Amino acid sequence: MTRIAWWMVESLSRLLDGDEREVVRGDLAECGTSPAQALREMIGLVIRRQAVPWCDWRPWFMLASVVIPIGLLLSYATRSWGVTSGTDISIYWRFWDFSYLAVPGWRRDVIDVAVRIGSGCLALVGWSWTCGFVLGRVSRRTVWLTVLMFAVAVFFGTMGTVIAGQRPENPSLQYHVVFVVLPRFFRTFLVLLPAAWGAYRGSKASSLPLGPTVLGVMVLAIATFLVSQGLERSLVFGGLVPPDPGPDGFLVSADDPRPLWFLSLVMMWPAVYILAETSRERGTRRASRA
Amino acid sequence: MQLGEFEYLMLTAVARLGEGAYGVTIRQEIEDATGRPCSLGALYTTIERLESKGLVKTSMGDPTPQRGGRPKRMVRITPKGAQAASAFYNAVMRVSRGVAWSATK
Repeated sequence: MTRIAWWMVESLSRLLDGDEREVVRGDLAECGTSPAQALREMIGLVIRRQAVPWCDWRPWFMLASVVIPIGLLLSYATRSWGVTSGTDISIYWRFWDFSYLAVPGWRRDVIDVAVRIGSGCLALVGWSWTCGFVLGRVSRRTVWLTVLMFAVAVFFGTMGTVIAGQRPENPSLQYHVVFVVLPRFFRTFLVLLPAAWGAYRGSKASSLPLGPTVLGVMVLAIATFLVSQGLERSLVFGGLVPPDPGPDGFLVSADDPRPLWFLSLVMMWPAVYILAETSRERGTRRASRA
Repeated sequence: MQLGEFEYLMLTAVARLGEGAYGVTIRQEIEDATGRPCSLGALYTTIERLESKGLVKTSMGDPTPQRGGRPKRMVRITPKGAQAASAFYNAVMRVSRGVAWSATK
């Protein structure tokens, strides 16, 4: 029990700044504080330290503009794209034959699917990285907590809803892989890890180079344009928005109304912020040199 | 400069301790004076707040063996801090003048 309590004190103290961590642990050692008392003291200090930055507007703004809206959209997008990508890949895996590539229609279909999966993965990584970066840059002192909340929104945002075609009773292994494993894989490797990486980079003081930033934002804008309808459909088929097939009565046809067209802009705002901030920092550097 | 009660207690403890003011001694001084426990959280967040107001200055002291080789955070009151504490004390004295604290029915 004593060792566990000290281990918890040690772990909690890592949430403090380096100097303060050493000072506080020194105080506890000098007073000969018992493990239980030391744990209470450390919890109290860490809570106070974590609460202070929340008196500012920035973490709340991050919560309202990134963590909740984009976290939830990514939750729906990863589930939907995990399922559709998994379905496409499993079909091609089972029926693949190189001779089919000679057929123009089949060839075009393969290219369409590859572009859709590739641009979807690229967009997920780009959106997540830019979200993490903005969380780290705008509210550095709350970054670990906002990233944690972002992860919760991504992993549990679709809880209680089912995707069209989902049948939870007696699922086969293939069904389990497509409907459960792949969305989790997408959430972990295409959302959470890039977001954590972005948050780490964003919380560092150094600015991004302008050229690669412009290029990255352009690539992300193209990927967002390519997957924008897929993003909107992930909400429609995820049960969040009622489907509207348009005048022809068929869903996923060209005349479907797109009341959620603005979602692409929501996903792109962190990238646009990064671009604006990088340009501003470059301007400031030039002015100070002059 | 407006001060809270705990901020005043801390400034007074720091002023009284002089060169020997750091986390453990300040805490002990406050606990002895008030008879109430003083948590590390309250202590260090208040020190930081006072420092941001320019009422105290802190610096890292040398590590000592009884602290497991870890440094102290030494605290020193600034002239602005002394002025603020003095103003707080005078205000309390003025407002308390002529008041009898015996319980009334």
